[in-house]
Amino acid sequence: MSESILLVDDEEGIRTVLGLSLAEDGYDVLTAVDGEDALRVFAAHAPAIVLTDIKMPGLSGLELLKRLKAADPEVEVIMITGHGDMELAIESLKNDATDFITKPINADALEIALKRAGERLAMRRRLKEHTENLERRVHEQAAKLLAAERALAARQVADGLSAGIRTLIATLGEEGGAFGDMPCFISITDRDGRIIAANQLHRERFGNRIGLDARALYAGDGPTPAATALASGRGHRENAVLLDKNGREIPVLVHTAPILNNDGEVELVLEVAVDVTAVRRLRDELKSTQARFRQLFDEAPCFIAVVNRDLRIAEANRHFKQGFASGPGANCYAAYMRRDSPCRDCPAVKTFDDGAPHHQETVVMTRDGQRRNVLVRTAPIIGESGEVELVMEMSLDITELRRLQDRLSSLGMLIGSTAHGIKGLLTALDGGIYRLGFGLDHNKKDWTEEGFADVRHLVGRIRKMVLDILYYAKKRELAWKRLSVAAFAAEVAALAAPKAAARGIVFETDIPADAGTFEADADTVSAGLVNILENAVDACTAERERGPGRITFAVRSLAAAVEFRITDTGIGMDRETQDRLFTLFFSSKGSSGTGIGLFVSNQVIQQHGGTIEVSSEEGKGSTFTVRLPRELPPEVKIRPDALPCPPGDPDGARAADAD
Amino acid sequence: MARKILVVDDDPYVVKYIVGVLETHGYQTCSASDGAQALEVLKREKPDMVTLDLEMPQEWGPRFYRKMTQIKEFEDIPVVVISGLSGIHHAIRNAVASMQKPFDPDKLLEIIGNTLSERENAAEDPAP
Repeated sequence: MSESILLVDDEEGIRTVLGLSLAEDGYDVLTAVDGEDALRVFAAHAPAIVLTDIKMPGLSGLELLKRLKAADPEVEVIMITGHGDMELAIESLKNDATDFITKPINADALEIALKRAGERLAMRRRLKEHTENLERRVHEQAAKLLAAERALAARQVADGLSAGIRTLIATLGEEGGAFGDMPCFISITDRDGRIIAANQLHRERFGNRIGLDARALYAGDGPTPAATALASGRGHRENAVLLDKNGREIPVLVHTAPILNNDGEVELVLEVAVDVTAVRRLRDELKSTQARFRQLFDEAPCFIAVVNRDLRIAEANRHFKQGFASGPGANCYAAYMRRDSPCRDCPAVKTFDDGAPHHQETVVMTRDGQRRNVLVRTAPIIGESGEVELVMEMSLDITELRRLQDRLSSLGMLIGSTAHGIKGLLTALDGGIYRLGFGLDHNKKDWTEEGFADVRHLVGRIRKMVLDILYYAKKRELAWKRLSVAAFAAEVAALAAPKAAARGIVFETDIPADAGTFEADADTVSAGLVNILENAVDACTAERERGPGRITFAVRSLAAAVEFRITDTGIGMDRETQDRLFTLFFSSKGSSGTGIGLFVSNQVIQQHGGTIEVSSEEGKGSTFTVRLPRELPPEVKIRPDALPCPPGDPDGARAADAD
Repeated sequence: MARKILVVDDDPYVVKYIVGVLETHGYQTCSASDGAQALEVLKREKPDMVTLDLEMPQEWGPRFYRKMTQIKEFEDIPVVVISGLSGIHHAIRNAVASMQKPFDPDKLLEIIGNTLSERENAAEDPAP
């Protein structure tokens, strides 16, 4: 191979002559006109030897040398110097120039310099070759060594593993061996799904299955856990059901672990199955117990809410959720009472305070706006810290009980109340009779007449009171018939007018003659309206400051109803009196009130499918507006002849009239 | 001079009755239908005796009695309680009698007659 040589000189003559001479000596000659040019050619062709003039315009020879050596330390650079350039020549050698020759160029000197450069190049190449060889050899030897070591290690691992497995298989079946006492079924299955080893418990429960297909052990048709592990190459866990030697099912939790052979294939599968019968039974029991408790909780015939310290509901039963359209997250007082702050004397708060159960009777409002009497009992739920964490509020609906109790106490009150009223009436009756007797004895016509009028009126009052009591004592069927509104209203007015007149109260009626007819039980409706009218008289009597009162009894004909409006200028009623107006035994009239009258009025009007409205202002008067339908609701229209009518019963006689 | 009796009862028929009984036996009467009204009538009419109902709509009998006895001039006026309430004997402790409705008019006349004559005798023979 011929060396390539780059000849750098700014003198074209030298480049030509020297170039020809070098080419003749067998070199590939490249030329460059200056330093810059030389760097470009060097970069493009990488000549092994550079022959350069030391003095050139532009980049100097010395500078070129430095650049070339920086680019390739192994390039051989021979400097051409002129006379008196000795210092530059020495400087060049310091910068690792191969040699220098002087101008005019002596052919021998050049040959020696080139020869030296050639030798250096050759030696360097040999050295490089040798080094590379050595490295390759080391690599080869190291790789061989490594492979040998790996083979050895793999064999040792494989030997160890197979020894381990042999031990495992051998000891698995051993009575009292390492696996004998383990409370689980351990077996090893080969690639074909045959059991090759099993522990003692396994043998006890399933019989000797060695050499048999593991498939037969499993209930169901799915792949066995071993088959799954074999297919995936990975261990896993699954629930399965095994069949013992008597065909009984044993629910198990199976863990599998594949055992690989030297080729990395699954050779065997280790199966460990844990009997979960007890666990499952406990879990099932727990689940059913929880379900039973939940059911009890939900179906308990009371409202149950469990609240935290903020009185926020943590848990509520079905009854509660349905009754109050509320549940966890809401405040109990909002759910129960529609309040925005805790209730007074809250029993839950007390239980949080002292850890003891408390109870309270209260009234709650259900989702549909019904008021229910409830007995709230609380019970603390103690947390792990020993503190009361939650409180259970159980509210028993005692509305019916209260109703019954109210009715019972009503009956008791009825006796007391009516006894008192009757005593008053009897006294008044005595008065009438006294007057009548005195008039007769002393032949005083005015006394006789007045006494007789009083007696007649008082007997009417007693009759009405007795009817009221009977009405309350037994809600009777309506003895209805079609009545003329005008005639009926006139009768009612006539019943009430004397009492008003006796007190000097103006009593006005406004009864249109053409008000038509309506269906009603004349006696009871009449009694109901008279009760209201008499109350108006009492209200006007009590009001003395504004002079004699005025009562208006106005009848208005509506399309499907009749309206009776009773207005008085009496003392009026405060809010509480208005609210309790129709409550049994509520009276604002002291001894003269039985507290039955308006209760009965309201009952009668409701039974007729009618309404009663009250507006009142204290010190100004009251207005009662009674609306009764012209036609009775069908459910109250029983056939009059179906009424029980004992012979001689005046009600029965009247009912017969209606036919 | 005829003695004057104040009849207090909220039932006008009862008032009329007692008034009738008393007037036919030579007494003068005045009446009221509740305690408040009774106090006004008392001051105006200055009666010699009072029949008092207990339960009345505006102001009950016992309250009227307390107010009455706080007035020096009226503190000794004898009171007969006539009420429909049972167990009334302690309602007004110093009442000369308590009668339950319906009452016996002769008994009432007897009590009133005895009470007033005792008072008259006491007034004529002041204690030494």
